[in-house]
Formats: sequence, C-alpha cells, structure tokens
Amino acid sequence: MRIRNGQDLATGLLFIAVGVAALWIGADYPRGTARNPGTGVLPFILSWCLIGTGVLLWLKSLLVEGPALTQWAWRPVVMITLATVAFALLIDRLGLVVAMLASMTLAALGTPETRWGEYALFTVLMIAVAIAMFVWGLGMPISILPRELAWR
Amino acid sequence: MEVGSLLDNLALGYSVAVTLQNLFWCLMGAIIGTAIGVLPGVGPVATMALLLPATYYLPAEGALIMLAGIYYGAQYGGSTTAILVNLPGEASSVVTTLDGYQMARQGRAGPALAIAAIGSFFAGCVATVAIAVAAPPLTRLAQEFAPADYFSLMSLGLVFAIVLARGSVLKAFGMVFLGMLLGLVGTDVNTGNTRFTFGIGDLFDGIGFVPLVMGVFGIAEIMANLTNAERRDLVSSKVSGLMPTREDLKRSIAPILRGTALGGLLGILPGGGAVLASFSAYTVEKRLSRTPEKFGTGLIEGVAAPESANNAAAQTSFIPMLTLGIPSNAVMAMMIGGMMIHGIIPGPQVMEQKPGLFWGMIVSMWFGNLMLVVLNLPMIGIWVRMLLVPYRLLAVAILFFCCIGVYSLNNSANEVLIIAVFGVVGYLLMKLDCEPAPLLMGFLLGPMMEVYMRRAMLLSHGDPMVFLQRPLSLAFLLIAVLLLLFIVVPNVRKAREVAFSE
Repeated sequence: MRIRNGQDLATGLLFIAVGVAALWIGADYPRGTARNPGTGVLPFILSWCLIGTGVLLWLKSLLVEGPALTQWAWRPVVMITLATVAFALLIDRLGLVVAMLASMTLAALGTPETRWGEYALFTVLMIAVAIAMFVWGLGMPISILPRELAWR
Repeated sequence: MEVGSLLDNLALGYSVAVTLQNLFWCLMGAIIGTAIGVLPGVGPVATMALLLPATYYLPAEGALIMLAGIYYGAQYGGSTTAILVNLPGEASSVVTTLDGYQMARQGRAGPALAIAAIGSFFAGCVATVAIAVAAPPLTRLAQEFAPADYFSLMSLGLVFAIVLARGSVLKAFGMVFLGMLLGLVGTDVNTGNTRFTFGIGDLFDGIGFVPLVMGVFGIAEIMANLTNAERRDLVSSKVSGLMPTREDLKRSIAPILRGTALGGLLGILPGGGAVLASFSAYTVEKRLSRTPEKFGTGLIEGVAAPESANNAAAQTSFIPMLTLGIPSNAVMAMMIGGMMIHGIIPGPQVMEQKPGLFWGMIVSMWFGNLMLVVLNLPMIGIWVRMLLVPYRLLAVAILFFCCIGVYSLNNSANEVLIIAVFGVVGYLLMKLDCEPAPLLMGFLLGPMMEVYMRRAMLLSHGDPMVFLQRPLSLAFLLIAVLLLLFIVVPNVRKAREVAFSE
C-alpha cells in the first residue's frame, strides 16, 4: 500500500512507540484493586489509548491523502538546544556572565541573519540588564563571574 | 444572588485593587502584555511562564493581577500589529488582519485602531461584570461536587480541548493521552511509588509545569521562528487621525455587542478562549452582513467584532479557573501555576478563604482595561517602533529569559536541561502539526483526575457505576459523549474545518 500522508504516519508511529515504551516500563507497577486502584492503573490505560490512537493514525495515513513530512531546520534546532544545555552546564560552575556569553553566542549561530557587531552590543546590554535585574534586583543567589575571578 | 452582596464584593475588590502597589503591578502586566502582543512570535503563555518564577518575589495579589494583565494586554497589543503590519501579533488577532490591514492601506489605520481599542474596552468591562455575577453561584454549585463529579467534569474538559483543537482530531486525542502520561511522571502521591523516573532524582517530584511549558512554547517557538525568514511591511510609521467617524461608530455598535456576547460565552468553554472567539465572531458578522462580499476589503465590522470577542473571551476564561480550579486553556494553566507558587490551591474554596485576592483580581481587570485604552491609543507610535527590533536579537533575549526563569524556580540547573529536551519535543510536535494545547491540558488534568478517580472508587467501595449514578457526573459524561459523537459526524467536522481555516 502507498503511504498517502507522511505526517500522520510519523505521528502514529511516534504515539505507538511512546505507548509501547510506557506499557513496557509500567508493566510491573502494581495495579491494586477496584476499590483501591494502584500506581499502575492509569499508566496501563493511557498507554493502550496512545497505542490505539497511533494505530488509527497509521491506518488513516494509508487511506486519506494529506501532507508529507517537511524538512527539519537543523541549524536553529541544534544551536538553540546547545545554547540551552550550555547555560545549564555553566551557570553553577562559571557564573552568570560566562553562561550568558556561551549560550547567547550559540543561539546567535542558529541563524544566518546574525550581524556580529550588533550582536556584541546587544549582548553587553543584556548582561548588564541581567546582572542588575536578577542578581541585584531580585537577589538571586548566582555568582556573576567564575569564583576564581570574583572579587568577593 | 443579591445586588447588595455583589456591591460589597466589588467594594472589597476595589479596596484591594486600588492600592498603589497593586495598581503598579496591574500597569506592569498591561504594559508587558501589550509589548508581547505587538511582537509577533512572543505569546502570552511563554511570557507568563517566563515571569512565573519572578512572581515568587511578589505578594500573591500583585502576582496574579500582573499575570492576568499580561493575558488581556496581549489581546490589545496583538490587534495593533495585525492592523499596521498585516502580521498577527497573537493567534487571536489573525482575523483582524483581514479587514484591519486593508483599512490601514486605505489610510484609515487610526479609526481601525480606535475601534479595536473601544471594542476591547467595552468587552472587557462587560466580561468583568459577568465574572463578578457568575462566580458566586458557580462556586456554590462547585462546593456540592463529589469526587466523581470532578472526575467527569475534567473528562469533559479534555473532550472540549480535543474538539476545539485545530487540525486533526486523532492527533488531539493522542496529545491528550501523551500529556496525561507526562503528568504521571514522578512519585505517585497515593502510594509513594515512583513512575517513569528512570531513577533520575530530579524527576521524583514530576516534570515541572513551567519547564514543560517553556520548552514546548518558548524554546520550540524560537526554533520555528528562526527558520522562517522575516518579513514585515509596515504600512505607515505614523498614524494620523485616530478618531473614527460617526458612521464608523454607528456601524460598529452591533458587531461589538455581538462579539462581546459570543466571545464571553466561548471563553467559558474548556479549551476555548480568545482564538476561537475571534474566529467565530468574524464568521458570524460575515453571515449576518448584507454585504458579506465586502469583508476582507476594509470593513470596520471585521475589526470591531473579533477584537471585542477575543478580549471578552480572554476574561471570561477566568471563570472556570476561579470557581472550579480547572484550567480552560494554557494561559489559565499558567494562572493556576501562579497561584500554586503562592501556596493557593485553586478551586471553589479560594473565594471564601481569600476574598480579597479573588475580588481584587476581578476589579483589577477593569482598571487594567482602562489602562490599556490609555496605553494603546496615545502611545501607539512607541509600540510601532518596537517592531523595529529584529527577531534575531529577540530570539537571543527570549532564550536567555527562558533559561534564567527556569533556573530561578529552584536554583536547579537540571531543570534547564528539561527545557532543552522539551524544546526539541515541542519542535517535533510542531513539525508533525500536533497542537501542544491539548497536551498541556492532559498534563494538568491527568494527575488531578487520578486523584479524584481514586477518591470516587474508594467512596463507592470499588463500584465504577458511581460515575453514572450521580446526576451531575452523568450529565457531564453525557455531554462529553455527545460532543465526541458530533465531531465524528461528517457535517459537523466539515463546519469545524471551515471555521478554523477561514
């Protein structure tokens, strides 16, 4: 059979995969009794509901015409994800300024439209605003610079 | 309910809302709301998620007043961009672009903006009164609810979320189930067992609502927006002649009234809200008009009706949240998040235990609407200038605010990693054309439903018939089944598709 709707097929397979995984992981959660339903009841029901929906979508993708999958925009997805991860890894270790510089630069690499002069100016401004707002204003317990460089 | 106690309540609310501090937070909310409403690609859900951690430092009243202001402020701001740039600042302003931008091209941007503001203000006032009148009786009704009734009502809410989601019904179903599964991650409160945690300590308390929302709405949106090349054609940087003519006003009265009524009703529905309201109002005006073919060429009715409707709906969607503690859309879910941060459990008890907060918030909405008229009309030039900030810079700023916002919740860097994960998930769902709103509803209502299901089963000694024996519960379930049958009937489905594609 011909796949008429790539988007529905992919969605269906995703739902089935998540449902099967949840069913498998949740298999040994206790189900309890009708009077006192246990930990495993809702995961069990929901997993099957998700699998069922996935199967229906799969069938639909064979029968009904629809949009195909479109290209992923890898550059922004990868760079924005890296930017977020960089912030998470650096904020506790090296402080706000380094975390911001790293994550904002990675984010700026996510689009070809970035103009670096403008970006540098904007970053300095953002760092100043962030320090004033979050560290001094709200008193959040973050170090501004890496501890070795900090003056206090 | 007697008029006397209504006035008492409003007086109490007035005394809370009109303190210098709370007026300030209301103004802040209105300004931030207008700003993000003007900027395309920045929505109220992500913004409220961003500011949620910051509200931790405010008193509860101020925090909720500000968060509410962001929502209805965004409806105002969205219309400005729609009219002047032909880009909807918010999803709820999509239909305003049809006639609003045409009016602007004919040099009538001023009247279009003015009518949008007047209509919104009128709708906001009416909706505020509607909340004040409807809330006490609904709250009393809610206090009669047994666990089984709550369970069935939430099921109905999820069905509404599915029916009202754009696009494929099947996908909406899947998103609800997926959301509910995500909601189960963490420790089961009843038994102490952990579920789907993979032994990761940070997941024992469950996936946080804020990281989930920020990932799916904030980070994923940056990814999607950076993909699309930017195109903004500002019709005229200076807007002259704000005043609408007498003719404009006369023709706008009926659409504003109808838009307000329709929007107010649709706002209450679970899963409804501003977007649906503006679409429906526009469709209704087109049907009722003697010259339907002129819609889309710059008719003032096409601006007045949807702009009134989206503002009315933005406000009445507070009703189920305030009286039942059930969110009707993603924004209300954020409001519930805001309440939880301050240790307030949303539900019918809020009105009794925190009358100052409850009525203060309602009265503040009226003041907020007044501030918005002042902000929007004379200061329109400033808002237009904001559009000159390119998205490549905004994206970097939004990303940073998402990261620091989530980090500041618990000073936990690991929660920032969670938004990275859900950013990719959100982008994937966007690519698959799965709307994230039903997922969010499932995520929120799923764990609540489990609690009520268990309570109901315990009370009924394990007899599942309890859900059919209580009249309220039965009624909710019947409506849910009817709705589901309806969307399967081809005719209704076709109508729904037409309504959403217009």
